[in-house]
Amino acid sequence: MKKSLSWWLLFTVLMSSMPLLISTRSLRIFIFANFIAIFAMSWDILSGYTGYISFGHPFLIGIAGYTSAILTHQFATPLYISMPIAILLTMVAGSLFFFPALRTRGTYFALVTLAFMEVTYHLVQVVRPDVTGGSRGLTGLPLLVTGAVQNYYVSLFAMLFIGLGLWALARSGLGTVLSAIRMDEDAVKSAGLNTSKFKLFAFTLSALVAGIGGVLYTHYLGSISPRGMFDINFLFTILIAALIGGEHSIVGPILGAYFLTFLLEFSRPYIPGSWRYLCYGMIALIVYMYAPRGLFTIVNAVENRIRGKNLRGEEYDSQTA
Amino acid sequence: MSGIIIQGFLISGLYALVAVGFTMIFSVGRVLNLAYGIYIMLGGYAYYTLAQVLEFSKAISLLGAIVVGVLFGVLTYFGIVKRLLNNPIAVEISTLILAVVMQAVVILIYSPAPRAIWPIVPGISRIHNVIISWNIFFAMITSWVVLGALLIFIRKTQVGRAILAVSMDTKGALLSGIDPERINILTWALSGALGALAGVFFATYTQLEPSMWVSPLITAVAVVIIGGIGSIVGSLVAAHIVGFMETITTTVIAPELRGVFTLLLIIIILVILPKGLLGQEET
Repeated sequence: MKKSLSWWLLFTVLMSSMPLLISTRSLRIFIFANFIAIFAMSWDILSGYTGYISFGHPFLIGIAGYTSAILTHQFATPLYISMPIAILLTMVAGSLFFFPALRTRGTYFALVTLAFMEVTYHLVQVVRPDVTGGSRGLTGLPLLVTGAVQNYYVSLFAMLFIGLGLWALARSGLGTVLSAIRMDEDAVKSAGLNTSKFKLFAFTLSALVAGIGGVLYTHYLGSISPRGMFDINFLFTILIAALIGGEHSIVGPILGAYFLTFLLEFSRPYIPGSWRYLCYGMIALIVYMYAPRGLFTIVNAVENRIRGKNLRGEEYDSQTA
Repeated sequence: MSGIIIQGFLISGLYALVAVGFTMIFSVGRVLNLAYGIYIMLGGYAYYTLAQVLEFSKAISLLGAIVVGVLFGVLTYFGIVKRLLNNPIAVEISTLILAVVMQAVVILIYSPAPRAIWPIVPGISRIHNVIISWNIFFAMITSWVVLGALLIFIRKTQVGRAILAVSMDTKGALLSGIDPERINILTWALSGALGALAGVFFATYTQLEPSMWVSPLITAVAVVIIGGIGSIVGSLVAAHIVGFMETITTTVIAPELRGVFTLLLIIIILVILPKGLLGQEET
């Protein structure tokens, strides 16, 4: 615990000093990485922990983004009112996710969430396009803060705050129950625990995180559109950030988000943009198939190797516990 | 009114063809192949390349598209599904990633711009002021013929019954001397072929573009959920429910809402009846 906390501290200090070290252009890359990390963590606390795979996370993020965008753009609501409303509404939407989860599991649950995302994609364009901006979306939204450095700190501290919070939670008894639900829901029920309550908690928490990320992201970009939000490619980026980094670990999605974003940026001179999804996808597919627990375990293994320990057998237990 | 009926039957025929390959995989392998839409897209692009770029005859191009479908079906099975067979969720995630990867490949080769694909059977007719494109009519006829042949194949032939047996109970099939591995390969090849064939018609019905795999995939999912697993007749009925619902939505309410009701139907059915409308108990 103490060792991990010092890692968090080191990470915080390193990331906070980033604006001193790199250019504004590169800073924008870090901002994007921070947001992807938030979204991937939101996915992780729901799908990585409870095992209910969500293919509809852009739905939650989009609800947050659109609510705040519409409130500020059409009703001139100030940000400090629109953002909490948007986050609250996202949590309500997260509970909506919950109803299918009471009855369906696995494959069918993933499908329902995917259907949620696609339905919203269509509805946003068709129902009241004068309010939602139709297929072109809304632009010129108020920004929370201006300037790359300020935006960087907002995204970084949101990410660190959420990351630390979720990480601490995942290590508590609550995290253990959620992991147990993933392994064997019926066994948890037999142990006398009300799994529905825990699932509802995980869903609402995931929605809360997605909501915070969604509003910050929208008011960082200053625009929102159905194609950019309720899109399979957006879902894909979130999903593979979590999977490459290692689901069921909270730290993994952060690693994955950074890894992906840097891969994209540093390969830009060598690999043209159109190859991006192809490379992402191939790497994700290979990592997912051959190291299903992601980079996180690889990093852990390397760390242990350096320390001269051989924890192969215990690694898995210590993480799941 | 007659417009809705005629259009409904035409579209439903196409949807039945789109969905049946997807249903087969779900019945036999108990996995949802989210890369199924890719066979549809690749079928369309293969036909386009052969018929319109290399200028082969239509029959050869159609055959070529089917071969591409078979190849990718079998490749998906060996590359991904076979390695993750005990974990349906992992299969779902990996096939979704595969779908996005293949979409990226198609964008690299053909650019993201949509392409017009010539109808296989050109021309239109009018009945009661309803425009019928011969191409969609041909697609419907093909769909009925293929589905009929498939039904006979599965009910009457030894191999077909083996497929049925594996879809009912893999262990039982193994005990009666059926090699589930071979049946799986065969099913994936068939699924790829059906997907690619449907893709050629689907591309002539809509248009050829790299993101065209999403909407037929959703149709296929809806058909499986409504029709239940393991039944070709069930898929056929479900395809007509979906097809008619979309036609009625398009003509009566608004064309933009076409896909919305299908999706809402998926959500409602899964929430109310987690096993699907005509679904069987999961074993």
